[in-house]
Parts: sequence; C-alpha cells; structure tokens
Amino acid sequence: MSAILEVSRLRKSFGGIAAVDDVSFEVREREILGIIGPNGSGKSTLFNCVLGQLGPTGGEVRIDGRRTTGMRPCDLNRLGVSRTFQLLQVFPQLSLRDNLILAGQEHQGSMFSRLIGRADAGLGEAADEMAEFFQLSHLADEPAGALSYGQQKLLDAAMAFMAGPRLVLLDEPAGGVNLTMLAHLRERLQAYHAARKATFVVIEHQMEFVMALCTRVLVLAEGRIIAEGPPHDIRQNPKVIDAYLGSSQ
Amino acid sequence: MNRAGAAAAFIIAIFAVAAPFFLKPFGIFLISIWAVLTIAAIGLNLTLGYAGQVSLAQGAFVGIGAYAVALLTQAGYPFALAFAAAGGLCFAIGWSLGYPALRVQHHYLAFVTLAFTTLVFLVLRNEEWLTNGIYGINGIARPTFFGWSTRSALNFYFLCLGTLATLSAATWWMLRSPWGRAFVALRENPIRALSLGLDTRRYTLMAFAIGSSLGGFSGGLYAPLVQFIDPGSFALGMSFNLLLMVIVGGSGYFFGPFVGALVAVLLPEWTRIAQGYYLIIYAALVMVMMAFCPSGILGLIDRVSKVISRSGRSAPALGAEGIGS
Repeated sequence: MSAILEVSRLRKSFGGIAAVDDVSFEVREREILGIIGPNGSGKSTLFNCVLGQLGPTGGEVRIDGRRTTGMRPCDLNRLGVSRTFQLLQVFPQLSLRDNLILAGQEHQGSMFSRLIGRADAGLGEAADEMAEFFQLSHLADEPAGALSYGQQKLLDAAMAFMAGPRLVLLDEPAGGVNLTMLAHLRERLQAYHAARKATFVVIEHQMEFVMALCTRVLVLAEGRIIAEGPPHDIRQNPKVIDAYLGSSQ
Repeated sequence: MNRAGAAAAFIIAIFAVAAPFFLKPFGIFLISIWAVLTIAAIGLNLTLGYAGQVSLAQGAFVGIGAYAVALLTQAGYPFALAFAAAGGLCFAIGWSLGYPALRVQHHYLAFVTLAFTTLVFLVLRNEEWLTNGIYGINGIARPTFFGWSTRSALNFYFLCLGTLATLSAATWWMLRSPWGRAFVALRENPIRALSLGLDTRRYTLMAFAIGSSLGGFSGGLYAPLVQFIDPGSFALGMSFNLLLMVIVGGSGYFFGPFVGALVAVLLPEWTRIAQGYYLIIYAALVMVMMAFCPSGILGLIDRVSKVISRSGRSAPALGAEGIGS
C-alpha cells in the first residue's frame, strides 16, 4: 500500500528546545496509526506542523507525494486532510447542524456561489446523516455550546468527517470522555473507517483506546520516535515501558 | 427568516413608515439621520458583531462616501451613479486597508483603523483643491428620480428608508447564506474555522470591505440629507458614535444597529430638556447601560425572554446571529 502521508526529518524548535526532533515516518493508505508518548513528548506539535498550524523549523511533509510544508490549514483541509482537536473546538453559538454544514461548505463551489446559493449550501441532508451516524440527531437544532462535553467531542469528530476527508488526524479524541461515551466514539470511528476507506492518525493517552483502535503505533519521547510496531509489541517493548508506561502506571 | 425576526422587521417597518406623519420637520430630520446612520451601523455590525473585528474607521468611510457623492453630483453626475460610486469606492478602500491591517486583530486593529480615520480627516481638511478644506462643501442637492423630487424632508426620508430597507434585506440575505455561518465561525473560533477549510483571511477581508461599503452608502445619503459637509463631521467622534450604536443595540444581533442608532440619535435630544447638562446625562446613561447589559439592549431582551421561557430551549430572539433556516 502506498503512503498517504510522509514526514521526513521534521524539526520544530521553540527557542533552544526541540519539541520535535528529526522525526520521520510514513502513514499508509487506510491504516489507523496511533501516536503515543508522555506529556510534552511533542505529539501535538508534530500534528500542528503536519497540518500547517505551525511552520516547522526543518524537514518536510508530503501528502500523496506532494510537498505540503508551509501550506495553510485551510488549503490542506481542502486537499482532504482533516483534524479534530484536543480541547473542545466547536462553534458554541451555531446549532449542531450548522456546525456540520460549516465543516463541509468550503469544499464545494466558489466563494461567490456560496453567497448566492442555498442557505444550507446543499448540505442539510448530509449534515443530518452525519448527525444520525454519531447518534446526535435529536440535538441537531441545539446550539453546540449547550451539548455535554462528550457530545461536543462526538460533534468535533463528526465535523472532521463532514467533507469526506481521506486523512484524518485525531488529537486525543478520548481525552476527558467517560467510558460509555468512549466505547461509542471508538465504535463510530471504526465504523466510519470501514465504510469510507479513510486513513486515521490518532494521538492518544488512553492506552486501551489506542490498543483497540490502532493497527500500528508510534511512540514519541522527548521529540523523537523511540519505538514503532503493532500495538501488541509496543506494549511489551522495554524502551516504551521505561519511557511511558512504566512511569505512568 | 425566523418568526421573531420577521415580527421585528414588520414592527420596525410600520413604525418607520408611520412616524414622519406625526412629526415636525426637525423630527423628520432626526429619523432620516437614524435611517442613514443605521446603514453605517449595519456595516460596522458586520465587521464587529459578526466577523469580530474592532474597527474605528467606519466614520471615515461615511466621510469618504459623503464627499464622493457631494463632489460627483456637483460635477454633474447623476445621484444614482454617485451613490453607487460611493459604495464601490469604500469597498475598494476597505479591501486595500484590510489587506495589510487585518494581519493584526483586536485592539491592534483598532489602532490601525484609528490611524486611518485620522488620515482621512487630514486628507479631507488639507486637500483643499478637491475638498474645499475646512470650509466644507455647501448646497449639496437632493436628487430627483423620474420626476419624484426628494427635496422635501418627507420625501427624502422615504428615500433614506427605502435604501435602508434594500441594504438591510441584502445584508440579511448574505447572513443567512453560508457566508453568515462563516462570519460567525471566524468570530467564535478562527483556528477551528481554518482547519475546516475556511479561508479566514478572505472572509475577514470580505466582511470588512462590505462593512466599509455600507459606510460609504450611508455617507452617500448623509451628504444630501444635511446638505453641508465638512471634515470635522467625519473625525473620530463619528466612528466612536457608530461603535456605540452597534454595542448599545447589541453587537452580533441583526437588529442591533437599528435599536442602537435610535438610542444614539434620540437620547441626546430627549436629554436636551436638562439644557447644559444633557451630554453629561447622556454619557451617564450610556455608562450605566454598558455596566448592566454589556451585550446591548437586544442582548438584554434576549436574556430576559430566556428567563421567562425557562424551558432551557435557547432559540435566539430577534434573529440573533442572522441564521434562520
């Protein structure tokens, strides 16, 4: 299978500290790659560099073989790269349905056609289907700010999927979510992955979640990759236990 | 359009059409000023209330529009053409100002736009060959359309009201289109908006330029309404006054500018009975209002209506956010 995302020799320094230090990896089409590592190991910084939210100090990022280093997040998103956020990032005053429509509307037509076109940008049905998929239909008209934490997490994921992305980067989707909601979220992510042939990269602390969801895991510590392999092997890797699991459990 | 929004539009329309028949000429002048400044405030509400950019340049755009119409009509061009030029010119200037200025946000943007307002004032004052400097421009004619003269106060008021209705309908259309959703997204969470493919820079510029062009249209009516313009009218005071209208009315509420402009135009007149103290009383009232309802009058009504309904369903009153489905 070919690589959809290639990261080579990526560096990002803040002052004298390298948050991401010479990181290279590939993400293959249709896999679910987990990235784990202790707090401050550079996971989120890595995401932000890949997604154009931060400019890397060195190295490059390729998507489908095309160099995307330095591209703006909005242009990357329109290439089919989508993301969720670690902290809640929905639009609290917009209704759940409007949040979903917004997540898809920039992917079709020109800016001008959106001005004169339909109010729902022709995405009303797609938004309702997505809400249905995440079992949020009953909340479609509620302002997103009125939803519970877990529901907002689901909405955040639903928004990332609205435009039918090929590559989705999920930043701690399980963070702060209760166990029932977590199982629901994992099951929905797997269902989406199976149905739409998408590729996921997941940053996560919740080990059970990573082990159950991911097909391959990368371990980051102090800005470097220290291990890589199937979830089962990673669990037993002494370096990983030392850097991460050992210290946290 | 949701039901509360439609009802509000209907009530405003009835009052606005009936009011001049009960008023003396000065009253008609005041409600004409209200209609004209509401147009500029709608523009600023777009920039500030929807897209979340603090601008102190709206008064300058009113000035540019006013001078454009005054100069063009006195040079013999028809009013309609001059009026369109005022809006177009302000759109272009807004876009070119926004292009560098919107790299900064919040109070930094406020300072950039403040500098712009000062710059426009200085140009209007110093470029005497064009603007007649501090003496201003006198005797600006009111237009006639197909034999319908707007020279009388009443007719000119209806011209202002008709323009206000047309421009606010166009703004309503824009805010209920996907653009409106994008504008709210820019204000609430620009980083998330960017990650969903929104070209936040382009939308922000668009909001700023369209808001500026509404300032220009407002100026295009202001000039023939007062029939005498000078640079002083469009100095910082005007920009602050427009900002006050947007905030007092309720920034981010579609009908906020209508209410805010009404307060800003009428309150000083009503407090005039206190003679020399009227501006002090006006200022005190504004301060009290800001302290107790920072979300403006419509924000207060919205809050009260939510408390009354108490069911927790928060359908925004009066077409808040302008997105009705």
